[in-house]
Amino acid sequence: MSENSLLAVSELTVGYGGAPIVRAVSLSIDAGQLNCVVGPNGAGKSTALKAIAGALRPTAGSIVFDGTDVTKLSTNERVARGLGYVPQVANIFATLTVMENLHIGAYGKRSGMKDRIESVCTIFPDLKLALGRPAGTLSGGQRSMLALSRSLMADPKLLLLDEPTAGLAPKLEDQVWKHILAIQSRGIGVLVVEQNTRRALTNSDAAYVMVNGKVAAEGSGVDLLQRQDLVEMYLGG
Amino acid sequence: MHDLLLGIGFGLVTAAVLAISTVALSLQFSVTNFPNFAHGEMMTVGAYASLTTYRATHNAVLACAASIVAGALLGALINKVVIAPFRRRNTAGLTLFVLTIGISLILQNGVLWRYGGQTLRLPIEGGAPHHIGGFLLTTEQIAIIGGAAVIMLGVHVILKYTLFGKAQRAVAESPTLAEASGISSGRIINRTWFLTGGLAGLAGFVLALTTGALTPGMGFSFLLIVFAAAILGGIGQPYGAMAGAIAVGVAMEVSAIYIKSDYKTVVAFAILIVALLFRPQGLVPAKRLAAA
Repeated sequence: MSENSLLAVSELTVGYGGAPIVRAVSLSIDAGQLNCVVGPNGAGKSTALKAIAGALRPTAGSIVFDGTDVTKLSTNERVARGLGYVPQVANIFATLTVMENLHIGAYGKRSGMKDRIESVCTIFPDLKLALGRPAGTLSGGQRSMLALSRSLMADPKLLLLDEPTAGLAPKLEDQVWKHILAIQSRGIGVLVVEQNTRRALTNSDAAYVMVNGKVAAEGSGVDLLQRQDLVEMYLGG
Repeated sequence: MHDLLLGIGFGLVTAAVLAISTVALSLQFSVTNFPNFAHGEMMTVGAYASLTTYRATHNAVLACAASIVAGALLGALINKVVIAPFRRRNTAGLTLFVLTIGISLILQNGVLWRYGGQTLRLPIEGGAPHHIGGFLLTTEQIAIIGGAAVIMLGVHVILKYTLFGKAQRAVAESPTLAEASGISSGRIINRTWFLTGGLAGLAGFVLALTTGALTPGMGFSFLLIVFAAAILGGIGQPYGAMAGAIAVGVAMEVSAIYIKSDYKTVVAFAILIVALLFRPQGLVPAKRLAAA
């Protein structure tokens, strides 16, 4: 964990109803990096991400973002500080139009809203054609793009993405990953929990393998891919 | 035919009162996801606040403003002091609903303690009658219908065109995702209580104007009809509430031409039951309304 980490999570313990799912997990990410958390189902990856986003209250540990301890802050306060979060499911407002979803994304940062809509439409040109449509009528791929766009509207420094390609066809997965890399190329850090381990590790600066609520291994994505033991045991080949 | 037009005219006045109250109840329900049983008492408090102000100032506009302010402050207070602490503990909607029953009883008895149980009169004159088409309406009744129409338009503009309205719809759909979008759902809910409390207070004032009488139980009695209109429109759907209020209000007053007016409430619920048999989702389905 470097001193200049944008996000530094230390000894995070969190669960549901008092039962810990994630136990003493530490991880970090520097500004503009793309890091990933991978591991088998039930390892606690999404739970950890929820806690970092503020959707779950940790029972122990700390979360420091951009130099501030945000452990006790609410989700919306973390968003205001630049920590964006895209949940795995129900990540768009289906009853609002695409444009209204983007407006909601900019709720805490209203100045320059028009420019930011233009900006996300350059990353996601498909959305430009659907601005007036109810978001509930979008296809799976378009929904993923809208979820990413909505979070970008708050002008984040770091995006937490929970399985952004879950349930998508391989072709759409490619598209979503292209967009994630485009977001990173704009200097926005990305911490992604991903089920497609190989792709996530290939694209990541650093990676964490979670097993049974703990970090079982960490290192650069490419290095972890070389470790046959990990790949075979935890990462689904 | 003449009687029918008169009935429809009165029905529009009742519908106007009902619409203000029902839209407030429905909007509050849609954002908080539980019905507020103390809504009727918020009307009552608004009505009594207008009476106190009118007695002191003899100014109908100030009396109206007092009802709105009293209702809005009461709404925000109920949320801040009672509902929000429970909501933070993730209390179930049913428990919150029961809490509002308690609040309703406390408020009703508070009004009884302060003003007594006798029927009081709000001495604001209704103005001259006017023939409009086949309708015969006083200046006051025309103002009530016009005012209600402006309020409905205002609610539509808020929900559709303001960031606050969009945030209300976002919180109504998913408070968790709203938080992840940078919205403080607690703040939006509090503002919604303030807004809907103000509308409830105003509805209490307008109800006192049309009936000419104030009692501690006035809001509670009216609440049953408000629920009928809200459910008929599609519970939690502000636009459906408008449609439900018009249907119930007009039907109640027109029925009074043909049967004893004591049965007006029965008519409201008979309409509700029959309509829901054929259209269980209410007049306006949830999805379309939220998408407004």
